[in-house]
Amino acid sequence: MKLTAMTAALALMAGAAWAEEKTLDIGVSDALTGGGAVYGLPQTNAVKLAAKEINASGGIKVGDDVYMLNVIAYDDKANPTEASNAVRKLIDRDGVKYILGFCCSGATGAVASFIEFEDAVMLVGNAAERSITTREIPNLTRTRPPADYTGAAAGTFVAEKGHKRVAVLGALDVGFYASYVDAFEKELEKAGGEIVSREAFGLKDRDMSPQLTKIRGQEPDAILVVGYVEPAAFIYRQAVELGIDVPRYGFTSGSEEQFTRVATSEQMEGVWDLRPTELTLLSASENGKAYHANYTEEFGIAPSPSSPYSYDQTYALKDAIEAAGTVEDTEAVAAALRDIAVPDEVVMQYLPVDEKMFDQNGQAYTSNGAFQWQSGNWVFVQDLPSDAAAYSAFLSTLDD
Amino acid sequence: MARNRTYILYGLALVGFVLLPQLISVKYYIHLSVLALIWVIAAQGQNLIQGYTGYVSIVQAGFMGIGAYSTALMGMHFDLPVWLSIIIAPFVTAFFALLTGYPSLRVKGHYFAIVTLAFNMVIFIVLMNFHQLTHGEAGITGIPKPGGKDALFNWRDRETYYYFVLIIAALMTGLAALIVRSRIGQILVAIRQNEDLVGAVGIAAWKYKLFAFVTSAMFAGLAGAIYAHYQSFINPEIFGIAQSLDAILAVIIGGSGTIAGPIIGAFFVVFLPEYLRFADSFRLILYGLVLVLATIFMPRGIAGIARDLMEKRRGRT
Repeated sequence: MKLTAMTAALALMAGAAWAEEKTLDIGVSDALTGGGAVYGLPQTNAVKLAAKEINASGGIKVGDDVYMLNVIAYDDKANPTEASNAVRKLIDRDGVKYILGFCCSGATGAVASFIEFEDAVMLVGNAAERSITTREIPNLTRTRPPADYTGAAAGTFVAEKGHKRVAVLGALDVGFYASYVDAFEKELEKAGGEIVSREAFGLKDRDMSPQLTKIRGQEPDAILVVGYVEPAAFIYRQAVELGIDVPRYGFTSGSEEQFTRVATSEQMEGVWDLRPTELTLLSASENGKAYHANYTEEFGIAPSPSSPYSYDQTYALKDAIEAAGTVEDTEAVAAALRDIAVPDEVVMQYLPVDEKMFDQNGQAYTSNGAFQWQSGNWVFVQDLPSDAAAYSAFLSTLDD
Repeated sequence: MARNRTYILYGLALVGFVLLPQLISVKYYIHLSVLALIWVIAAQGQNLIQGYTGYVSIVQAGFMGIGAYSTALMGMHFDLPVWLSIIIAPFVTAFFALLTGYPSLRVKGHYFAIVTLAFNMVIFIVLMNFHQLTHGEAGITGIPKPGGKDALFNWRDRETYYYFVLIIAALMTGLAALIVRSRIGQILVAIRQNEDLVGAVGIAAWKYKLFAFVTSAMFAGLAGAIYAHYQSFINPEIFGIAQSLDAILAVIIGGSGTIAGPIIGAFFVVFLPEYLRFADSFRLILYGLVLVLATIFMPRGIAGIARDLMEKRRGRT
């Protein structure tokens, strides 16, 4: 009798322990090496941080089960073939159904081309190419707004500053940077301004003095720099070294630490970054400050401004799984993602459309902001005009 | 006798490839095998100009890009059936190879390599910047699979695509073997060994070099076209110089100037970086190290080593 009772108790305990130990593998495909790593590595860290926090606060509750998250991350080098391989590996070999990360557009586009036919959900972070969410792929959502959504707001802001002749220096062979500039130009022209020069640089270029010398000769009112953090930092530095004394605007999303690896704080002084209202310590919400502190403690380095896109993905996924009440039925979770409100834990300042975090395209929208480098920090100065509902309606009209 | 043994080995290898999907339980490895077979086609082409003719061309990935974009664009703009656009793509590539081959082949050795490298850069820049046609860095998405809706086979199934690419790779390997065994192939080898002597005996070497270059490009164009329809997405990133170097490495590692070499090398350059994923950020360093060591200690490639071992064994018996 005693033996039977003990066996039953042990079985119950084992059952309870089993329920507690259920693990849900989530995958990350992101650039951990190469040029895109400035965005991909912080994004991967952010998913790991969110997973750790979710686990610490009791995991994801699905019916009577509780799931602890386990993150499996692979390097896609921001390369389309590598990203396809990484995601195939996650789905086919590791049995992962939820894949996060995706900092860079080319690699993201490659995965987006086949994800619709997989039993998986794809949550895109920093990749800003518009076409990723124009096809209304049912199992794909994105936290970062497309680049032209921000570019239009930036154009209006620069025009309101009274600039009429703007010189552009950018990684213009990268699609989403080009679309940012196109939208910027449209709004600038509406106010009677013009882009007097479009100079391009490669993502690996570091000496931009020839382009800057040409721009100096054109005597613009302002310059606009669009590109990855490192080349942009070189441009800001070299502009000062060449004596270009006009306002410098940019679209880069780099952290203070990333910029000061290349340029001094004095050389950065006064530079504007016109981008989605991403994380900066001085303008952060309570969530943002906690995220910054926890990230810094966990990884020994400050988070990049765009890294919370993937942190927020993880919480959105948690809410969607709990709302769908399943981890197995990816269709239900994908549908729930399009139906959830903005989770309480997110860091970015989302503008819900119809009170939902993601619109019918699977696209989320943040507010856009003007940040200025002041005494070694990015300081949030003001909101940029951002009409998420109007842009969402516009996005729905596109299908390529 | 030796030839019979070679045929038996190729036959066994083919049986192995046919059985492979049945032996693999994880579809991810079938996906990698499809990519490797696509690289077999490109590497066989690279072997014709590099391994047999002795001219190192650094434009193979660029030609793959031309093949990939031409099949995708023909489908998009002219509504051509997938099969037809795949067949036409190598000929479009051949046209561009003719245009570039004539000036390139006026120079030799390192200069030829540099000129072809420049062509790859030009192709990459055009693909990146001709937005109206190529969609730039965003690439072309939704490229259809062969077969259509009422197809006999499910082309979304990687196993179906595997067998399709296997057939093409086997045919192209057979074609490469035929070329090499023909009079043309003998002249290509003669050019590699002593181009001046070939000219001295009255053979117009440039014609044969151009033939090797254009044929090599056609192999690449076909590989690119098949890649585009397999991945359903292309952008310029995958047709850059790094990928052209991979084609060269596939030939060197596998065994330059052999038919088996590009097959082995193609699987090597596709599978090795994937197997090194455990090393995280050290992966590329390890990959580089393996390649450097392999090039230094196996100058004749894996096929060369295998042949030496077989001959040694035969000598013993």
